[in-house]
Amino acid sequence: MGGRDEGTRARSAGVAAGPGRGDGSPAFLTTRLEVLLDQARKNSLWPFPFGTACCAIEFMSVMMSHYDLSRFGAEVVRFSPRQADLLIVAGTVTDKMAPVMVRIYEQMAEPKYVISMGACACTGGFYRAYHVVQGIDEFIPVDVYVPGCPPTPEALLQGVIRLQEMIERGETHYQRASAARARSAGEGQ
Amino acid sequence: MNGADAVLDAIRQAFPEGSGVAVAPPSDLPTLRVERGTLLSLARFLKDDPRLDFSLLADVCGVDWLERQDPRFEVVYHLYSIAKGHRLRLKVPVAEEDAVVPSVYGVWKAADWFEREAFDMFGIRFEGHPNLRRILCHPSFQGHPLRKDYDPGQRWLLREGEQHEPAWARTQQEDEDHFETQVLNLGPSHPATHGTLRTVVRLDGEVITQADVEIGYLHRCFEKMSEQHTWNQVIPYTDRLNYCSAMMNGVGYALAVEKLLGIEAPPRAQTVRLILSELSRIMDHIVDIGANLNDLGAMTPFLYMYEAREEIYSVLEACAGGRLTVSYVRIGGLANDVPPDFEEAVRWLLRRIPCLMDDMERLITENRIFRDRTQGIGVLSAAEAIDWGWTGPCLRASGVAYDVRKAAPYLGYETYDFKVPVANEGDTYARYLVRVEEVRQSLRLVEQALSRLSPGPVIVDDHRVALPPKEKVYTEMEPLIWHFKLVMEGMRVPPGEVYGCTEAANGELGFYAISDGGGRPYRLKVRPPCFAVFQAYPHMLPGHMVADAVAILGSLNIIAGELDR
Amino acid sequence: MNEKDIILCEVKPLRFSQRFYLVEVVKGLAVTLRHFLGNLFRRRYTVTVEWPEVKREYSERLRGRHVLLAREDGSPRCVACYMCETACPADCIHIEAEEDPTAAVEWEKRPRVFTIDLLRCVFCGFCVDACPKEAIIMTRQHEMAFADRQEAVIGLEELLQKGPIDRLDLGYRPYYGPPTRHIQLPIPVSRQTEGG
Repeated sequence: MGGRDEGTRARSAGVAAGPGRGDGSPAFLTTRLEVLLDQARKNSLWPFPFGTACCAIEFMSVMMSHYDLSRFGAEVVRFSPRQADLLIVAGTVTDKMAPVMVRIYEQMAEPKYVISMGACACTGGFYRAYHVVQGIDEFIPVDVYVPGCPPTPEALLQGVIRLQEMIERGETHYQRASAARARSAGEGQ
Repeated sequence: MNGADAVLDAIRQAFPEGSGVAVAPPSDLPTLRVERGTLLSLARFLKDDPRLDFSLLADVCGVDWLERQDPRFEVVYHLYSIAKGHRLRLKVPVAEEDAVVPSVYGVWKAADWFEREAFDMFGIRFEGHPNLRRILCHPSFQGHPLRKDYDPGQRWLLREGEQHEPAWARTQQEDEDHFETQVLNLGPSHPATHGTLRTVVRLDGEVITQADVEIGYLHRCFEKMSEQHTWNQVIPYTDRLNYCSAMMNGVGYALAVEKLLGIEAPPRAQTVRLILSELSRIMDHIVDIGANLNDLGAMTPFLYMYEAREEIYSVLEACAGGRLTVSYVRIGGLANDVPPDFEEAVRWLLRRIPCLMDDMERLITENRIFRDRTQGIGVLSAAEAIDWGWTGPCLRASGVAYDVRKAAPYLGYETYDFKVPVANEGDTYARYLVRVEEVRQSLRLVEQALSRLSPGPVIVDDHRVALPPKEKVYTEMEPLIWHFKLVMEGMRVPPGEVYGCTEAANGELGFYAISDGGGRPYRLKVRPPCFAVFQAYPHMLPGHMVADAVAILGSLNIIAGELDR
Repeated sequence: MNEKDIILCEVKPLRFSQRFYLVEVVKGLAVTLRHFLGNLFRRRYTVTVEWPEVKREYSERLRGRHVLLAREDGSPRCVACYMCETACPADCIHIEAEEDPTAAVEWEKRPRVFTIDLLRCVFCGFCVDACPKEAIIMTRQHEMAFADRQEAVIGLEELLQKGPIDRLDLGYRPYYGPPTRHIQLPIPVSRQTEGG
């Protein structure tokens, strides 16, 4: 339902430019309402800390007093996927945990963004092993990869800021997918 | 050693030659080679005989001797007597075609999960085990990964719907009033910041009637990885075992390997290892108490105590370069010397941490709500706890005064003046009190250790073990060659085996290391303290409510990195 | 264990005022109000480092992003000996060697390809420990976020030192010399001047 409304709006706004990562052109042409919505969304991300291992401890550091994530609007940590929009995968995801992660990702309502925190979540890290997923992008699309083992809290905060910039420019997976839907709905007419 | 000889004499009397029990060649512990037919009677004898009294089954693991094949597998048991203080190792050889061993679950309940793990990793079946199925790898996994012919990178996908459900959870049940009871899943994605643990409970209203626990959601194959890397390259992996107190795992591992090598780290390295280990213990207890309180709804103390953790991070980062995963320990000592203002910084910590702990205690210890929620919850008696293989603060809260730092001291602990806190109630409140007191005792230890910090080298001066100093590598030929050999081939550890245990934050952390003379470990088994603690959890739950289940879980301090390795 | 080694944690029974609880509420609020009022006027208990406006100084041993040091003529000091690649537990370094015709020493090698996958790297510092030429060291740059996995595989050009060595923000390396930074406790919440 949300997709159809957005398609209508995008169609009425004009033809979207092609997807451009890095070539300077915007991913899709936005209306003023979309711009306002993206500003709201980027400043009030509600994280779902999918914390499995050591990176979860550094994530806890980010939530605590020294590096307060709530300064970026993301204090409300929600452990229900229905109420969260930012999935932070912090820690190693094993083959046993992967269906759980996919189920949680699918239960999240759109718009949703994914930050992959730490070497293990990004690529499997130094666990080239029989039970470790070699990067969560085998299963779910990732917007920002934060390296480190574990990343310092500032590194994660920089990842969140980068995600906020991506949301503003419309470069996240969700925004690209909804732009593509809007374009194909527009072309289908 | 008198103790070991007396033990072997008593065993030889009861099991003379030819009865299936033979004394194996001496290694670091008295070892017996037992035939599987005699295993159960020997186990009963070892536990019940008053002279021996091996009440604690510390570890059960498998070893694959693919090349030797005499026969292929070996099941190794490590036993300990809390009252007498002696250790024993049993080895039961099993052939590949007929890999069945009688289960000792009837003798020590601690064998429950350890035997399941040996089955999972090697395919050795344990006859008489109540629930023999995979524990760490997922249900669709094929093969047995720790066998030497298993490719380390071979993965199997688990699809949605293939996850394991306990048999009792699949059927519908009614209670006496014909109300349907409900099955609830707690985890593995857990609001309480404990990581990836899954508990399936059957609820009658709010009361739990049956429970089952599923682990392995963080099985990162530490043991297989350690077989692919050199002895020093394993150190970053050990940091990620109990990641709340990363340094202690590295120290435990280094001590075990140094025992195999027959070297000892210089005194300055020992003292710094002790200081940082105790600071790590404080960090771990802070996270555990804080997370436990957070689950119960008291969020303020967690925020206050986390400041202490951040400040300890500053000190660790100044020494090692990393906050959480320090990789500071090397076999033979430490990677670098501590910075010059280390002592001043630690003294600042010693002034600061008690203030934060006092603030927390003022809010919590005499708090009626906290006491009502935790007193009488999750009680485990001393005898039960020892039978389940518990060690550490959880065991001490049940009244058993066993601490590896006092029983088998290392790093010079016998020369320090500290006490071991013990409580008698065995409930969640007792575990909280024991941990708070342990933090205060650790602060005392750090203060004493700081005054003993004397100048000197921080790594042993043996070129077969430690990298030579960089100035020499840049200028002289021989140190360059030694450096090259150490990096390329790894340090050569003489063939042998060792079981080295230390008192980690959760209990007895054991490293059973087997070397075949090469640069890589042949087998490295970690005896995680929370593995033994968590296996009693489903048996503690029935009769409690769901909210109590969360409180008990928090007090047990289950770190998934250590549990699943 | 002796009796004197044990300290018994006794559970003290609650007094009436503690069971009645209202007194305890006031005492608890006193603790939190102390923090609150202390922060309100003088920021006595504030420990928040307001990143990114205020950046905290880590020590000079921080293991951050790698850098390949260069000789005077700008070529990397690295002789492609493969020690860092062997020492790396994560296998994230990939080197391909070639002959260096410009070298003063005969048969010396140089790296044709030198990539580090920063998303595999666990920042353990073993590569720095293993290098016999002090060619690879780590800087204190720890804030890197990537939008793409390919972006994180950095090659020789990106790794090579840019600018003079005393301008680099150096971290984990073999020599630290006399310390220029001290361990700052409590962690400073405002910007510090150099040489603190």
